[in-house]
Amino acid sequence: MSKFPKLLLSLAVVGSLGGGVSFADEIKDGKKVFKKCRACHAVGKKAKNKVGPHLNDLFGRTAGALEGYKFSKAMKAAGADGLVWNNDTIDQFVTKPKKLIKKTKMAFAGLKKEKDRANLMAYLKSFDSDAGSDAAKDDKPVDKEASGEQTTKTASTTDGATQPKTASGSGGKLNIGRLALTEEVKAWDIDVRYDGQGLPPGKGTVAEGEPIFTEQCASCHGDFGEGVDRWPVLAGGQGTLEDDRPEKTIGSYWPYTSTVFDYIRRAMPFGNARSLSDDEVYALTAYVLYLNDIVEDEDFELSKENFNSIRLPNEKNFIADTRNEEPHYKPVTEPCMKDCKPEPAKLLMRARVLDVTPDGDHEGSLD
Amino acid sequence: MSLSHRDDQKEVVNVGRRRLLTSGAAGGATLLASATNALSASKPDPAITEIQDWNRYTGDGVDARPYGTPSAFEKDVVRRNVPWLTADPIASVNFTPLHELDGIITPNGLCFERHHGGIAEIDPAEHRLMINGLVERPLVFTMEDLMRFPRVNRVYFLECAANTGMEWRGAQLNGCQFTHGMIHNVMYTGVPLRLLLEEAGVKTAGKWVLPEGADASHMTRSIPLEKALDDCIVAFKMNGEALRPEQGYPVRLVVPGWEGNMWVKWLRRIEVGDQPWHHREETSKYTDLLESGKARRFTWEMDVKSVITNPSPQAPLTHGSGHTVLSGVAWSGSGKVKRVDVSIDGGRNWQTSRLDGPSLSKSMHRFYFDFDWDGSEMFLQSRAMDENGQVQPTKNQLREARGPNSVYHNNSIQTWHVKPDGSAENVEIS
Repeated sequence: MSKFPKLLLSLAVVGSLGGGVSFADEIKDGKKVFKKCRACHAVGKKAKNKVGPHLNDLFGRTAGALEGYKFSKAMKAAGADGLVWNNDTIDQFVTKPKKLIKKTKMAFAGLKKEKDRANLMAYLKSFDSDAGSDAAKDDKPVDKEASGEQTTKTASTTDGATQPKTASGSGGKLNIGRLALTEEVKAWDIDVRYDGQGLPPGKGTVAEGEPIFTEQCASCHGDFGEGVDRWPVLAGGQGTLEDDRPEKTIGSYWPYTSTVFDYIRRAMPFGNARSLSDDEVYALTAYVLYLNDIVEDEDFELSKENFNSIRLPNEKNFIADTRNEEPHYKPVTEPCMKDCKPEPAKLLMRARVLDVTPDGDHEGSLD
Repeated sequence: MSLSHRDDQKEVVNVGRRRLLTSGAAGGATLLASATNALSASKPDPAITEIQDWNRYTGDGVDARPYGTPSAFEKDVVRRNVPWLTADPIASVNFTPLHELDGIITPNGLCFERHHGGIAEIDPAEHRLMINGLVERPLVFTMEDLMRFPRVNRVYFLECAANTGMEWRGAQLNGCQFTHGMIHNVMYTGVPLRLLLEEAGVKTAGKWVLPEGADASHMTRSIPLEKALDDCIVAFKMNGEALRPEQGYPVRLVVPGWEGNMWVKWLRRIEVGDQPWHHREETSKYTDLLESGKARRFTWEMDVKSVITNPSPQAPLTHGSGHTVLSGVAWSGSGKVKRVDVSIDGGRNWQTSRLDGPSLSKSMHRFYFDFDWDGSEMFLQSRAMDENGQVQPTKNQLREARGPNSVYHNNSIQTWHVKPDGSAENVEIS
């Protein structure tokens, strides 16, 4: 192959770069856009809260969480729900503030042009003290002019064809990764804690749970939670924990109802996880409680609201790790080495009698 | 020649007499017979005198095995399952063939497997690791991102809390693969979890983390933040190469010294919270029921433990009496193993074994006891001590303290009964 096509290609890249907009230009243009905001917001070295909060270190900040500024209830609530300012959320908010947060007190119609928003964000990002820019590394005060200049340098070090892929960065010390979007956290963070934290809205009755259980669960757990083959037994066993052969079920052993809900919601039915609606999970949990005589009315409805009123009987029987109180845990410097037993060892029990070891195909492994 | 032969024989007899005097056990006859056999190879060995195929003909070229596999003669060195243990192999366990291994590193293909929803087959390009909860910045990392954090290399054992769990009530499974094979020892390469948490910025209220797997079981465990910041690793390599799919490819959590269930595979999310979650695997499972009906929870650390891997039921002594290499592995979740004592008479008398190979904290250690077997029956035991002075207990000590239904954390001393014919069995003794 001749070098000619390659040369063309590289020229094309350079050409497109030349015709495009550099990071520094974005910041410069963003500064112009910011004029619309300046009445209420300050940025830069001496920025203070004005009518609106200052916008230094905005990226990665939780909405409504900046200390010393009095936010609207709506903004605080959005933050509590996990809204964190990043490229996407700022873009949405600035497009039409009242669309993202209905009762925000920010009186601003919005920026219609995508380019304006992008430039504004590039400008605001230059006031991020730990965004990994040269300015931050040198620990210089973030000043509008200087940061523009520094960012120009950064842009020039990218050396050619593409913008760095992680240009936005995590905002952390190493600036690796990116901020998780609210929707992303919502999609994955569906676990429920023992005290019900994380429960979704919803409800379901015992009677509604029964047909779902029969259809989705009974093939392994049995119609009454008695367990088929070696699949887990879900019900019964109460009062057997001190027996020689205890039966550990939800009713006899599990400490928290939330664990039932959480596990069904995230991992059941086996082989088709995440296929049940939240209401179905409430109904199934209610039904399993019913199978264990924790609730006795078929019309009982379990919901987010009454969830914590249902306690499992064995909750109080869980204790901390107390292994180190056992006598043999006492540290020993020199264990017995000679004549440790009064007489020669005698055989008491042999594994081969049981005959439960799978046959190895290895010569001499087993009888 | 005949003279020297007789001299050799006399020497063996003398050795045999010495052993007989000291051990006082029967079996001298076996000893003499096998010793005579050992010296009677008077015919030339065809393995030496005949030209073998591999001496003459060329073998496979370099590209025949782009990813090398063991010799065909090692086909029995595999993980094995105990089918009756669980309802379905998708949520089950198999066992490392400890009796076939040596040194301290477990080869990747032999590391035991434990899955709760089968093996997740994940395209690393589609894998994400999220950090959320009580952090300044909820973050998402790609695998490429993870590779940009400073890395560490550490060797750690991973032991399932249920390892040896089937043996609580008595000797049950006949082979150290089955009694002790829910363990492996691997060098991990990865990023300290601390660095990832620092990148997200843990809020002062954050006290616990909840790692979550991307597989169909959505495995979660609560881990105290102190441990997460101490020595946990988000690992993407094992023994130098990418994690195997069954070990959590493309990325898993490493929780040194703590029970294997916490080492979440296919790690996709780490949530920071102010309290533990009490999820299924830390309430209904991996809690230790005592005789009183109370159950211990959050029993994370794996106690000091050892087992003799050779000889053992799957690896009998086939050479007869004479110089014998007894070997095994020892480990402790709280640090290094300081010493392993070995008994051939069921714990009446002990001798200190020889540790060989790297001695690393929270890693397997290899021990050897080289001795002259007189051919009589033996009750083999090993007893490990760690650097903190913890000594491996007997089965009865554990049963007295916990009753027969504790299931997890059985680190008791194992007994193998070796008979004069060299075969071995899992037994309990007085």
